[in-house]
Amino acid sequence: MSETQEDKWGVAHVHASFNNTIITITDETGAETLAKSSGGTVVKQNRDEASPYAAMQMAEVVAEKAKAQGVEGVHVRVRGPGGNQQTNPGPGAQATIRALARAGLEIGRIEDVTPIPHDGTRGPKNAGF
Amino acid sequence: MQHVKIPQDRIGALIGEGGETLRQIEDRAEVRLDVDSETGQVKVEQTGDPITALKGPDIVKAIGRGFAPDEAMRLLDDDMMMFDIIDVAAAARNQNDLQRHKGRLIGEDGRTRELMEELSGASVVIYGSTVGIIGGPEQVDVVREAAEMIIEGAPHGTVYSFLEEKHNEMKHKGLDYHKFTG
Repeated sequence: MSETQEDKWGVAHVHASFNNTIITITDETGAETLAKSSGGTVVKQNRDEASPYAAMQMAEVVAEKAKAQGVEGVHVRVRGPGGNQQTNPGPGAQATIRALARAGLEIGRIEDVTPIPHDGTRGPKNAGF
Repeated sequence: MQHVKIPQDRIGALIGEGGETLRQIEDRAEVRLDVDSETGQVKVEQTGDPITALKGPDIVKAIGRGFAPDEAMRLLDDDMMMFDIIDVAAAARNQNDLQRHKGRLIGEDGRTRELMEELSGASVVIYGSTVGIIGGPEQVDVVREAAEMIIEGAPHGTVYSFLEEKHNEMKHKGLDYHKFTG
């Protein structure tokens, strides 16, 4: 990460489940991780890990680290748990994107990359409400 | 671009008189809506700021789940406003059971639903086989928990005292969020 050319872009991978939110910022290829954070780094109680507040704090920290490495903007790839679990991203997803934008990172494309089974394994017995 | 499907009888509410509501949503959420009134399929396409446009599909979904357009527009008031759906049909065994659950959620003269709204501060709409909730994150959490208690068969009194307790908690807590200090 020596060259600091102008408008370097990254990719923010946001995994938002109902129990946690994981943010990873990588370079554009996705091979090199620039910054990462998850719910447990900002809250004490396990049940708060997925909360939008936690996501905002994480996003701020992560955005700071990314900017220190010369990232100007990020494309966002959000995903929920997917597979045969729920396909909607959890409560932390929107909060993360907003907080990233507010922290001064430019937001490029927002993509939903929740894994959708093309008919995989059988679902759990009670899929919840 | 995203697709949302809404029931036939909510298409009118989404479009509004002479397309007024539709235009208002398009302006405020910076999206373009393409409604197929035959099937109820709505195409939501972002036109401006991608971050404001995130709320677009939620607004359409909320109107589809029985919210009045004005209530649905509350989603844009604040960054933290959330929309949540509880699918009652998933918990019900059959049509009769669904009806019983809905009745319990609404309560006598709508008392339970009203109390859920009043004590949490969120807006709650029961429509078809879903409970829709619009509010801040804690408000939505409280209503969700209360609704799940009712669906699981808790007596109404228990749920009311739970709501009361949460109401007091929210009133006194303020906005400080415990920070991890290490």
